[in-house]
Amino acid sequence: MPDGSFAHPQERQFNPYSENGGTILAIAGADFTVVAGDTRQSEGYSIQTRYAPKVFKLTDRAVLAVNGFAADGNMFVKKVKQRLEWYRHAHAKDMPLRAIARLIQTMLYAQRFFPYYVYNILGGIEEDGSGAVYSFDPVGSYEREACRAAGAAQALVQPFLDNQIYFKNQQPPAGSSHPVHLPLPDVLSIVIDSFTGATERHIEVGDGLEIFVILAKGRSTQGFDGRSGVQELSTTPEGDRVFVIRRELKKD
Amino acid sequence: MDHFPTNWGRPRNDAHDAFNTYPLHQRPAPHTDTFAEGVQRTQQPIVTGTSVLAIKYKDGIMMTADTLASYGSLARFKSIQRLHAVGESTVIGASGDMSDFQYLQGLLDGLVTDEFTAGDGDALGPAEVHEYLARVLYARRSKMNPLWNSLLVGGVKDGESFLAYVDLLGTTYTASTLATGYGAYIALPLLRQAVEGREATLGADEARRILTESMRVLFYRDARSLNKFQIATVTAAGVDISEPIVLDTAWGFAEGIRGYGGQTQ
Amino acid sequence: MTSIGTGYDLSASTYSPDGRIFQVEYANKAVENSGTAIGLRVKDGIVLAVEKIIHSKLLVPEANRRIQNLDKHLGMATSGFQADGRSLANRGRDEATSYRDYYRQPSPVKEVVNRLSMYVQAYTLYSSVRPFGVSAIIGGVDKTGPRLFIVEPSGVAYGYHGAAVGKGRQLAKTEIEKLKLSELSTREAVAEAARIIYLVHDDAKEKEFELEMSWIGDETNGLHVPVPEGLLAEAERKAKEALETFE
Repeated sequence: MPDGSFAHPQERQFNPYSENGGTILAIAGADFTVVAGDTRQSEGYSIQTRYAPKVFKLTDRAVLAVNGFAADGNMFVKKVKQRLEWYRHAHAKDMPLRAIARLIQTMLYAQRFFPYYVYNILGGIEEDGSGAVYSFDPVGSYEREACRAAGAAQALVQPFLDNQIYFKNQQPPAGSSHPVHLPLPDVLSIVIDSFTGATERHIEVGDGLEIFVILAKGRSTQGFDGRSGVQELSTTPEGDRVFVIRRELKKD
Repeated sequence: MDHFPTNWGRPRNDAHDAFNTYPLHQRPAPHTDTFAEGVQRTQQPIVTGTSVLAIKYKDGIMMTADTLASYGSLARFKSIQRLHAVGESTVIGASGDMSDFQYLQGLLDGLVTDEFTAGDGDALGPAEVHEYLARVLYARRSKMNPLWNSLLVGGVKDGESFLAYVDLLGTTYTASTLATGYGAYIALPLLRQAVEGREATLGADEARRILTESMRVLFYRDARSLNKFQIATVTAAGVDISEPIVLDTAWGFAEGIRGYGGQTQ
Repeated sequence: MTSIGTGYDLSASTYSPDGRIFQVEYANKAVENSGTAIGLRVKDGIVLAVEKIIHSKLLVPEANRRIQNLDKHLGMATSGFQADGRSLANRGRDEATSYRDYYRQPSPVKEVVNRLSMYVQAYTLYSSVRPFGVSAIIGGVDKTGPRLFIVEPSGVAYGYHGAAVGKGRQLAKTEIEKLKLSELSTREAVAEAARIIYLVHDDAKEKEFELEMSWIGDETNGLHVPVPEGLLAEAERKAKEALETFE
């Protein structure tokens, strides 16, 4: 080149990854689970779109949130859904939540040396009817937890959840103990506060919020029937129900 | 059965060719890549196109790109088309490497032809074309051998307008206003302000005016751009790609800008 | 066919003493027993028409098409074994696609016809295979204008102004010869083709048939497509009318 840019050989490598911002979180209750994510997709300082879903319904009692490199995330969700469909064709039922969790670990680890650059959080209802959250790292390490935040604002949200869900650094009132599970209205408030907080303090979080609520069979909708923007996605014959609540977040 | 006529009537073991009839065309042979030990893969784009802009409007989508293909900072080809119709209801616009784009055009044209010869009345819509491109680009980035493009895909099918982005990493997204390259920094804020919330009422004339003015701004600010561009329109009636439009632009004012013009102090 | 039973008709790889390949001739028989297919090469395009015999009322109308696309600008009508016709069309599509991949432009009609005829010919050389039981009328428009060919089971291919294969080919050919092909438009040719198919159809022997027609030319923007419903119905109406005044 005339400007001499090729004068000295340069080490240059195509970088197959990118980072698309956003944050996800999930909280398990006794008989429900909430999985949420914002809908902004960004690269660097540019907002690519204000609506790119990061939370996906997998079965009538399982929801998956993916965060990190969007192209990997979308491809990963597509492949998980494909495997779940094959499972349905083979066994005439949906894959149980803990089996989906193990499947995801296997699929992530299969790419150990060219990983999906994605943090996954799986939420839903276990076969025993309890709410459950599984969180994963990009190469498949996973554990079941009561709550987890991941993504751009993980460092902002996780300590808040530790305090509000696990009651870290809180003393219970004398003569009583902290509750093991929080009721749904409290959880929803914590989720919304988490995201408004993250939106305020992190430039990659905002635009829209999608909160998926998975209710175990027999559980009433008490806790959010008054809320606006609620849409029911599915009901099983046994009575498990999946809802999504859509809210606006600040767009600046 | 061996379906290659050229293999018929031969000895079973043709490792040695007893009848000395080799080679004939179309014999399947074990594939050996001469360069397998030292494969060269795309590390950077060579001949490049700059921004592509697109918006949704009342009747469908509108997309624009200038007609320049640059070779580094050299304005090498000044009349190439970066907008390409795919079938009857889709248009794609490309920035990035032009040879990779031409390769993609070949793939898509083959796809459209196959769809036509099937003769079943189905046709590819913009969503299918976008999904296909996303798969191709993601597969190539996963082989560490990317097709170096940022593409916009737009169209109208079954009364639905569609507008989406896909790039060399396989990253995808949709929005009612999209831009690639410098357009994402310079034109996109203008487009969002002019279009967002008005997609259903925006008329064709105003949509064209918005894009034209954005192209003017890009021409003045993006050193790899040209004041000659085309506008593609996709509506329920089909795809139309305009003849090149030349903007009346002037650099006379630059003389008076300190640090740009002739003045030394 | 005095040589039948002499053993020379069992393999395509053996000539009879008088220099014939019976397997190829039998393949031609398969074509002669099949519904007629015709092709007209006119001023500004090509029209293909097929008399598709309906052997059961339970069949879905318009199923099992005997006119197929090889490329945007190439059509093929076959007479003979339907399955062989489908297989041949598949090969034709591959050849047309391969030409496009190599040269980045639509293939000349003659090129695809040549390649297909070589392919068909290969099936006349070996004892392990059976020749194609179809004659294919291949029509299209390329840089040189409208072109029309027949590929026969022997692998031979000729270019034509008007083509007819299958059961009613003799009568069809005499009718086509009466036409002023170089002066007809495709639109007029559609009517003529329909009339000829209706004419050659033998009511006494065969029950139902379906008229299948396609065209390519200026009217279709250079695309090989089925004749539009309205025009087809109109052509059929006229054909039936002409049939009554005939004789």
